[in-house]
Amino acid sequence: VTGKKSMPEEQRIGSILLADCGTVTTKAVLLDRVDGEYHFIACGEVPTTAEFPWADVSIGIRQAVEAITEITGRRFFDAGGNLICPERAGQEGVDIFAATISASQPLQVVLSGLVRDLSVASGERAAAGTYSLVKTILAADGRDGVLSEEERVRRIRDAAPDVICIVGGTDGGAATPVLEFVEAAALACALIEDGNTRPRILFAGNSRLRERVASLLDGQIELRVADNVRPTLTEESVYGAQAELDALYVSEKMGRLPGVDTVSGWSPVPLAPTARAFGRLVHYLWYLGDPSRGVLGVDVGGANTVVAAAFGGQLHTTVRSDLGTAFGIERFLQQRGVERILRWLPEAMPAEEAQGLLLNKELRPASIPQVLRELWLEQALARELIRSALETAQPGWKPGAAQVHPRLLPLCDTIVVSGGVLAHAPRPGQAALIVLDALEPIGITTLVLDEHGLAPALGNVALVKPLAAVEALDGGGLVNLATVVTPVGRARRGETVLSVRISYDGGGSVEVEVHYGDLEVLPLPPGQQATLELRPLHRFDVGLGGPGRGGKRRVSGGLVGLIVDARGRPLRLLAHPERRQQQLRQWLLDVGG
Amino acid sequence: MYYPSQSQATPLTVVRRERVLPVPGQVLVEIGDRVDPQQIVAEAALPGEFRIVPVARLLSVSPRRAARMMRVKPGDAVEAGQVIAMRRGLSRLAVRSPIAGRVTASGAGRVLIEADSPTLQLPANLYGEVAAVIEGLGAVIVSRGAVVQGVWGNGAEGFGVLRCLVKSPDEPLLAKMVDASCHGAVLVGGTGLEEGVFERAVEMDVRGIVLGGLPAALLARARQTRCAIVATEGIGALPMATPLFRILSTNDGREAAVNGSMRLRAGVVRPEVIIPLPAEATSTSSTTEIGAPLAVGMRVRIVRAPHLGATGTVAALPPRARSIETGARVRGAEVDIGLEAPVFVPLANLEVLY
Repeated sequence: VTGKKSMPEEQRIGSILLADCGTVTTKAVLLDRVDGEYHFIACGEVPTTAEFPWADVSIGIRQAVEAITEITGRRFFDAGGNLICPERAGQEGVDIFAATISASQPLQVVLSGLVRDLSVASGERAAAGTYSLVKTILAADGRDGVLSEEERVRRIRDAAPDVICIVGGTDGGAATPVLEFVEAAALACALIEDGNTRPRILFAGNSRLRERVASLLDGQIELRVADNVRPTLTEESVYGAQAELDALYVSEKMGRLPGVDTVSGWSPVPLAPTARAFGRLVHYLWYLGDPSRGVLGVDVGGANTVVAAAFGGQLHTTVRSDLGTAFGIERFLQQRGVERILRWLPEAMPAEEAQGLLLNKELRPASIPQVLRELWLEQALARELIRSALETAQPGWKPGAAQVHPRLLPLCDTIVVSGGVLAHAPRPGQAALIVLDALEPIGITTLVLDEHGLAPALGNVALVKPLAAVEALDGGGLVNLATVVTPVGRARRGETVLSVRISYDGGGSVEVEVHYGDLEVLPLPPGQQATLELRPLHRFDVGLGGPGRGGKRRVSGGLVGLIVDARGRPLRLLAHPERRQQQLRQWLLDVGG
Repeated sequence: MYYPSQSQATPLTVVRRERVLPVPGQVLVEIGDRVDPQQIVAEAALPGEFRIVPVARLLSVSPRRAARMMRVKPGDAVEAGQVIAMRRGLSRLAVRSPIAGRVTASGAGRVLIEADSPTLQLPANLYGEVAAVIEGLGAVIVSRGAVVQGVWGNGAEGFGVLRCLVKSPDEPLLAKMVDASCHGAVLVGGTGLEEGVFERAVEMDVRGIVLGGLPAALLARARQTRCAIVATEGIGALPMATPLFRILSTNDGREAAVNGSMRLRAGVVRPEVIIPLPAEATSTSSTTEIGAPLAVGMRVRIVRAPHLGATGTVAALPPRARSIETGARVRGAEVDIGLEAPVFVPLANLEVLY
């Protein structure tokens, strides 16, 4: 593997068993060396067992591993129920086991700050760095009316948070309104007699006030302190607060999940929240690519949607713990309306039917669509979940030179896509189209699919065995879904905007002219290498140095092939329902969906 | 092996149910006590009203001086109108408590007074015997009877005589059906209900409504309704599964406890109906072991279209994945639902009835 960073030599390890314990599904996958290279061997997927009658997440992991035993005959647990590690002769055990967890409830947060668009917005981004739900926001800017101290205390008490995050005031700036929030938080905590349920206070505001905050709380309430999320009006620094909240999530939520201690005992690597490990993977992939561009990851789970972005070496992880394909639907429908979802359907569906289907998914989260119209609805929901999570994430990014067009997605080398609705899309073209519709990437991007949902766990392995992790990623952890070329510019529908030539390494070539509005798929199967030559017209920008500039690029094959998305940015859907449905059917057809 | 989700639908079983307070309190029963549905098994003080009295501001002194003028300290009980701080001297001034309660905190020139809390009383909602006491939280009650679990509930609880108002599980519940004979009863419907049913239910002091599917448009209304509501199949125009309807309709006229409590994560709680039966049942009529892997012969319910709501038995468990209409290849089971041939259903879309 070549990369910007050299990796230390390490003793080579063989088999790798990975598990991910999600809110709905628990997955396990076995990777092993065959002829010196890692290959995917088998996987198992079962409903998560955090609830009755099991109430132990380790049981679900055993059940998923049991499915691998059924396929391979390999035994993983000894008679005492302990994981056999390292691998023994005779197909027993594994060399390394790593797991990620997202099954626990999110951290409940009350956020208080001074100005909604400044410190409070930064506080929200800090909270979104881990599995958390901001239940109440108290701002001092009067936008929601001026709250009395009693009302502030009441709102905090009624929210019953795990943590009260107090931000506000630039360093050396406002003091009195910030300290008033601290006093209100202290009073609210005084109303909670049970010390076990009393929230912590995280202070990430005006750093000059730390001593006064500690003095106000007088040791009665656990205080954690992080860097000011808004040290100046123009500067944001959310990482300290994010790290504190993430640590609280791990100790208070993930660590208390029944059975998590057992799983922890099997792994030499500390268990990690799935979102953190997913972010680590995205960050890691950035180091392997073009530093002037970004790497993006989206993971759409049953209860959470995660967007991780790496630009200029900086990772930005955004977890929407209120957005999932199963949980949080009712609130999502209330906030955004069912029409937002219905607009992505290739056939008509009454709103009430759609609402019923979506709400029933929350009641039976492990169920899967068995008929096409329900599949289209689930995929339409996925598009809106990703778009919604992106709206939260994007304002916190610092993409630098990768942001070539304002209001569009920055240039991304790679987009990692994960989560059941994407990984289990019956046809790879459907997964690719969901991502293109939801993220609207520009320039040249490789879509990479986390087929078995275990790439985050592999990211966790990278902590202790980086070389093995990279080899395993190449050997089955991630698969190329498609290479996408998206020209950006203005033209009339049907006008030629790009000339594309693919020269295959094994010989032969294909040349096409792409018209504005088209979605073209050119053959480039997995394992095939090729040289891509792009000649944009009408000053269209394909991400090769500016408007009108073309060039050559080496590309690898994927499950879908090479997609040229000339539908325009931002993507516009037709307003007329029947015409729009026809348009969507055509796009599905184009990508083989 | 596949371990599907499970749902209880049994005409006779031993029922063990935890009755637990949402906040720590006091348990009022002991092991071996016989309880009836109305009997309070535990009670707790709920968070009450409070007032923050800005003593320093009212006395026009600094917080430090105000501290010296306080007449109460945290933990003290106070009466409404009681003097809690006093400034002596020529301009003598007193600050009185606006409410009766307890001083919870004081400092920074203010006093936090918490009013006497309202008490939450937790009834047994079952006939039975206390099998265990959960210290400070509640009790485990053992009873015997029929159990029907649902998937959606409005959070309320109720106990009354079961009144089956429809003839078949696909018949909707209409407002005109809720007459004087429904007073204090638990109503059983089929698929959906008219909005007018809620008003009639209030008028007739109905204690519970059990039906197959609840229309999405009526969710908010159902949540506001005082009586317990349980949907056995989900949201939408969904008929009640036949075995569940049979259990409920054959027990028409018997008393039933309806619990609409529902939690989807972090300790899943399913809404349910329990019909206490006089039979001396010592074991369950179900042969399915709780938490057992899916096996041939098990009674299952299909939870997604095209056979949503159908129940039957597992006829075979093909070892290989098969294609379904969406194009996905999935592991599944062949389920006999009374059609000419068994139908293939993805494992994820099955729920075992036990």
